[in-house]
Amino acid sequence: MTALVFDRRRATRTLLWLLLGAVVVLYAFPFVYLVLTSFKLPTDVISVPPMFLPKTWTLANFHAALSAPGVPAALLHSLEAASISTVLSLLLAVPAAYGVTRYGTVPGQVFIMGALVARMVPPVAIGVPLVGIMNSVGLNDSSLGLAIAHTTISLPLSIWLMASYLDAVPVELDEAARVDGASRIGALWRVVMPVAAGGIAVTAIFAFLASWNEFLFALLLTSIHAQTMPVVIANFQTQYGLQWGTMTALATIYSVPVVLLSLFLQRRIVAGLTLGAVKG
Amino acid sequence: MEGSSESDGSKLSRGTFLKMGGAAGLALALPASAGAAVRRVAKAGAGSISVVCEAGGKAELTKIAQLFQKQTGTTVNLVELPYAGLYDRINGELSSGSLSFDVAALDVIWMPAFAGALHSVDQLFTPAVKADLFPSLVSGAQIGGKYVGMPVFTNSEILFYRKDLFGSSKEQKAFQSRYGYPLAPPKTWQQFDDVARFFSRGPKLYGTDVKGAVETEWLAHVLQAGSPGVVLDKSGKVIIDNPQHQAALAFYANLHNKYKVDPAGAPQTDWAAAQNLFQQGRTAMMRFWAHAYPLIPKNSPVYGKVGVAPMIAGKAGIAGIPGPWYLSVPEKGNNTALAMEFLKFSYDHNALAVQSSLGLAARKSAFAHYQNQPKYAHFRPLLETLSAKATVGRPANPKWQQIVDTVLVPMLQKSVTGKADYAALLKSARSDVQRLVG
Repeated sequence: MTALVFDRRRATRTLLWLLLGAVVVLYAFPFVYLVLTSFKLPTDVISVPPMFLPKTWTLANFHAALSAPGVPAALLHSLEAASISTVLSLLLAVPAAYGVTRYGTVPGQVFIMGALVARMVPPVAIGVPLVGIMNSVGLNDSSLGLAIAHTTISLPLSIWLMASYLDAVPVELDEAARVDGASRIGALWRVVMPVAAGGIAVTAIFAFLASWNEFLFALLLTSIHAQTMPVVIANFQTQYGLQWGTMTALATIYSVPVVLLSLFLQRRIVAGLTLGAVKG
Repeated sequence: MEGSSESDGSKLSRGTFLKMGGAAGLALALPASAGAAVRRVAKAGAGSISVVCEAGGKAELTKIAQLFQKQTGTTVNLVELPYAGLYDRINGELSSGSLSFDVAALDVIWMPAFAGALHSVDQLFTPAVKADLFPSLVSGAQIGGKYVGMPVFTNSEILFYRKDLFGSSKEQKAFQSRYGYPLAPPKTWQQFDDVARFFSRGPKLYGTDVKGAVETEWLAHVLQAGSPGVVLDKSGKVIIDNPQHQAALAFYANLHNKYKVDPAGAPQTDWAAAQNLFQQGRTAMMRFWAHAYPLIPKNSPVYGKVGVAPMIAGKAGIAGIPGPWYLSVPEKGNNTALAMEFLKFSYDHNALAVQSSLGLAARKSAFAHYQNQPKYAHFRPLLETLSAKATVGRPANPKWQQIVDTVLVPMLQKSVTGKADYAALLKSARSDVQRLVG
């Protein structure tokens, strides 16, 4: 009987591992293929039939990518826009979510639903008017202007994420802080935020990634002084075809900081993702 | 107090993450916003113009822009954007009226869509200018009776072939005995069919490629067949199912369906795939844009073994679809006089565009200046193709891009899927195009 249970458990576990492996392959394959392509020779890049592993490994694509004009500047612009947008998103989302969760008013509920609706508007519908607005306030082709535009994308999601995390933090903690003489803001800053730090980290990463990978607003709002990497990567697609080798090399380089950031904050992300699950 | 314990156990102390993030963000935000202001002042102070261009075509303008800056003191900012993104950017700015550029580099097929928002450049089209441009470039610049763009460079498909295969005495003998005439770069549809079938020895070598995912090559064959236009005639009437379109489609698709002279995957084959097949030595011939001749990689097995010839001829002779790009000035631009000065300068110094990675120009005299150098062996066939009587541009219709994306490419993809009924496909395409153009 014990052996039967043990066998069944092992079979279930094997099946789960196989499923997990299939999902990982499904998700990881395009990225792994991109990375491997970046090490291929120009003639092997889109060989017919395609080759998975490079026949000859080369760093020539990375050299060409990094030597392309505007690449280091674009990397810096991406970092600027993403950092500013992340800070703006958190500065606005944390108090907004705190107000909604702690006061529980009807306007608060309407506001949070409204934030969700804003998320449903196609970015292109916002993009064209933003061109005019940024031009008129002199923020066109600046990292700040682009970061503000990116915040319109990340803010609704940030508010929703933060609301779910703050909802999971017991109100009794705020009350205890208030009894000890803290103000509302003091309670938020000194007591609630440290408890929800994991959630804030997750929200920050989502906001950062939303800006880091964003293409449309960067295309419409930047020219020389703030052009970000997604546009520079897309520039390798010309009217006569795609420079696969250089493009994949640059995309590989561009994904490194995000991978490192995710690894660095891995514990916080896991903690943040489970924070909403222990609400009560 | 699970949250506290989680917090205690973390490597980032209380709020450290937030403080670090906040400090980093502010440190970046302040110089970024201050920098934007400084740049605006600098831009207002010194003479400068902004030119938006396609990433692949930026090189064509770089030397001209540098010389313009040197001679006039005006800074030229070349803003490089991806091909599809450039259209969206220009479209967005012209429709909103909020412009960030003074000059735009436009593909000929976009001109009809933007013509209403572009400044007239009639005064630049003098008789001398028109005489030094290919007729298709002059007609492509004129929309609704007004010139709206100055050509920067043009291109056309020509024939690429493997010199090593065509020059082999063994191949020459075999070809002569099978077809009864000498092996040479084909000049007609019949010769192209013969040579393509002769060299098809798959899977290592095929005669040529068949591009199902792009429409321009089929359109060139339509002109070679003698059609008065491609898809639409001069009056805008839909002619996509006329006998010339049918003959061109039969010639084009039969290479795949009947003669099987191309590698698998015709419906997905586009420019990049075709170029790659040829550069890998998998095809003996390729109809392709002329600029690709000097760009064959040194590690390609066909490097140094490629010859070029004019595009093949049908009943109406040689014909190609020109692919010109123009410089245009927006009607509501802030810097119109300077922008117009740059357009004239670009035309006057058009030969500089040849010294770029794309290596193309717009003026006949610029091409002629370089055509005898071995590196520019593709210029002579390109000139012959562009000067051919049957070579004309694509219709000046604002819906052209939509016609291409939603009708022509899907129709071509269906035509290379085995038992296609070419007449039925063209008839169906006719009603689709009719619906689009109204």
